[in-house]
Amino acid sequence: MTETLRTIAAAQLPVLSVLLALGTVAKIRTARGDRGLGGMSGLGPAVLVPEHWRAPVMLGCAAGEAILVGGLMATGHPVFRWGTTAFFAVATYVLWELRRRRPDVGCGCFGEVSAVPVGFRSFTRTVVLTAMAVGAVWAGPVPGWSVLAGISWTEGLAVAGGLLLVAAFSPEIEETAARFRHRAPCEERPADAATAAARLRSSTAWRAYEGSLTSAEPADSWRELCWRFFVHPGRGPDGEPVDVVFAVYLSGRKPAVRVALVGSDGRAVGTVPPPEPVTTADGAGGSPALAAHDH
Amino acid sequence: MPQRSVDRRRALASAALGRPLAGSGPVPGDGELLHAVTGTVLDASPHLIIIETSDGEEERLVVAPWATAWRGDTVAPADLPPGANVVIRALKAGRVVDRIWADATRITGVIQEVGPGARDRTVELYCGPHRGMRTVVVPYAVSGRLRVRHPKFEPGYLFDAVGVVEDGVAHVRLPTTSQPPYRWTSVPEPPLAYGGAQPHVSGTATWSDGFDFGERGAAYPMLESSDAECDEVGRSCARLPYLALGSALEVRNVCAGRTSVVPVVTCGCLAGRFCDRCLECGTSPRGRIAELSPASFVELGGELTKGCFNARITLG
Repeated sequence: MTETLRTIAAAQLPVLSVLLALGTVAKIRTARGDRGLGGMSGLGPAVLVPEHWRAPVMLGCAAGEAILVGGLMATGHPVFRWGTTAFFAVATYVLWELRRRRPDVGCGCFGEVSAVPVGFRSFTRTVVLTAMAVGAVWAGPVPGWSVLAGISWTEGLAVAGGLLLVAAFSPEIEETAARFRHRAPCEERPADAATAAARLRSSTAWRAYEGSLTSAEPADSWRELCWRFFVHPGRGPDGEPVDVVFAVYLSGRKPAVRVALVGSDGRAVGTVPPPEPVTTADGAGGSPALAAHDH
Repeated sequence: MPQRSVDRRRALASAALGRPLAGSGPVPGDGELLHAVTGTVLDASPHLIIIETSDGEEERLVVAPWATAWRGDTVAPADLPPGANVVIRALKAGRVVDRIWADATRITGVIQEVGPGARDRTVELYCGPHRGMRTVVVPYAVSGRLRVRHPKFEPGYLFDAVGVVEDGVAHVRLPTTSQPPYRWTSVPEPPLAYGGAQPHVSGTATWSDGFDFGERGAAYPMLESSDAECDEVGRSCARLPYLALGSALEVRNVCAGRTSVVPVVTCGCLAGRFCDRCLECGTSPRGRIAELSPASFVELGGELTKGCFNARITLG
């Protein structure tokens, strides 16, 4: 019985290592992210220290985690096991303190992914991880890699169980899922102009009107809602100078492209086939904002 | 990206998408249309004010008996000095003066440096890539009132107030918002898009003096940086769709029940950094959705000294 418990406790080493590794990567990405120091104002224990110390604290924390991962996986030395125990015990205390002093900020455990305010689940997770680390001390000096190298059914189940337990106490998973599910619609997402230009060049509308353009380089280009417009100087059916306007929908691999020839008086010239309805993969369905105003 | 004439963009976009082209300006609705008249005071008397507009024309307006003026404080219209730049809210097709704001300036920026001193203090502000740096004076008399709304009076935090220009120097008079508690670089993320794209966006509309004198238009925060040639654009804590210079916004002043179609004429680099609310009538959702020129703001029924109104935009 004791032997089985020891096996289960030792099997938590990979679980601890995976979490520490994820924490390291996410913290480094957040601290080095494009939002810089300012973006970290709502994240984790870093808010408890003065502002110019926040990035160093987060990077220092990440470095500590990296050392622990290396030690746990490569060696069976007790210093890394005790270190991990101390790390998670301190983290538990810090989260408690954070919840008391700044109830509005997230734990920052996985960088900016952990932006939800510290609650029961984040706190319980560190308690569970501390218990796992204590178990690893008790299990004896087995390096993490040897657990993975000669993995048995019992150990495999124990690893899966440990991961599930931690996942159950991770609010980040739901947060990330919600971000994917409720992704900003096309109108609110940034879109690269070069991609839209490339999609225009490969469209049938471009091939149909390429001959009437006097310049392949656009004279003007802008983005409005889910459309990017390209204006090229061209010649109308009677040879008069016109502006050829292409509107490229910014969603989908083969987006709708609409085209119009506009004279210098701002009126459409010639006959352009009626625009086909826009169907999109993300379910945004054309441009509701425009549709609402079109009636 | 090349830019030719942004004024023509609406016509071109309408032709390509096959949508009707609506004109800009106030939309007639309930109540009398308001007119904004801007110019420089030539002469002011209790019943008549003579101003020179930016076109160099002289305009004579009748001063209504109830009309008041503001020049750092409430004053009688007759006390306005010649040479003061005024924004007038006028009734009866722009002939009768209802309210006057003289030498009013909107001081919106990021605090860079706060000068020493126990009494009047100078504050250096970064007012966006278009306006650059600006130095303003916070008189001792208003510092208490200002600091209540601006508790973080240190570099990196946002500042927003209405002031008056005296001898070419901007003096702060009234705070117009409660200072956001974050640094200007850490704007909160917009809420998740439950329910997909939205036909209307509600929030707060403010005014700015970063426009040509008398111009009608709006500064909008959500432009593609490659189109607007401005790196600091494209941030907002309200869920705003991307638009371009030249797009038309149908702005509704929810408090006054007035609507106007205004073109986007510049990027609202700093407006997007404010995640605040307007409390003019009820509490607006968070985020500045547009920064209007003084003339457009006044025509929509806004009071320059209050600084904002609860607004709703529809994209036109």
